Amino acid sequence: MRAEELKGHLDAVLLAALEGGPRHGYAVIEALRQSTAGRLDLPTGTIYPALRRLEQAGLITGSWSVVGGRRRREYQLTAAGVRALSGRRADWRDFSAIVTAALEDRACMRPNPA
Amino acid sequence: MHASESRLISSYLEVLAAQLPASIVEELADGLAETHRFYLRQGLAPERAAESAVAEFGEPEAIVAGFTRVNPARRAASRLLGIGPAVGACWAAALITGRAWGVPLPARILLGLALITCIGLLAAAALGRGYRLAARTGVAGCIGMTALDLVLITGVTFAVTSVTWVTVAAMAASIAVTARALRPALAR
Repeated sequence: MRAEELKGHLDAVLLAALEGGPRHGYAVIEALRQSTAGRLDLPTGTIYPALRRLEQAGLITGSWSVVGGRRRREYQLTAAGVRALSGRRADWRDFSAIVTAALEDRACMRPNPA
Repeated sequence: MHASESRLISSYLEVLAAQLPASIVEELADGLAETHRFYLRQGLAPERAAESAVAEFGEPEAIVAGFTRVNPARRAASRLLGIGPAVGACWAAALITGRAWGVPLPARILLGLALITCIGLLAAAALGRGYRLAARTGVAGCIGMTALDLVLITGVTFAVTSVTWVTVAAMAASIAVTARALRPALAR
């Protein structure tokens, strides 16, 4: 899946990647690779601005540490982020169920007998 | 890190460093180093791993554009431009109902020019492509609008013959909007 197809869902996907605990930018990307079996093809550089946006929105917090002589920024979910993720999940399940029902309803494809 | 891949990654980071703040570049440098290590673990030669890491990160212009879009000063400027006409209408109503006709012409011209300058700065922040341009013009525009608000509030308090609820509403709206915009604009 390409980045443009994910538009509108990137925030939820990033929040979900942070659900397991604090992660730095690249670890978020690795988590997404693993959870989607490599099918999510996002340009790595686009993840970082999105993380900053979520931080500004108060859904995640960032903190610096030093690893191997390099400064590293790690992010974790805030309480608001946990609530937002829960809401986005519920919305997605509803949306997904509706679209799946519409797309897979074979009755729609049969010609009307009348 | 191998010298050849270091040159490729370093030059990539230099392009970003010319346009983005140091803290963002540090974060990207860490991510790029991790991406490079990922490709080394996949068995690629150091130079090829560096090329793959840079390719995976994407075009520097796209990264800069992404950070520019989420620049707090740019977003504050956009918010101010969006809600500004409503606050301006409140002020117009306050000045008309308060009969503040006594303001000398030079002061009116000065205020008008200051307002146009602030709107120009905010527009440059909201529409400009560069991160630093957006940050500087956004902060300058938000500070300018706050100063203009203070001048208007002080001036109207002394100039109007009677303070009506419209004047109070205009002052409250003005303070609330600029304070809300100024805080994130100054955040780093």
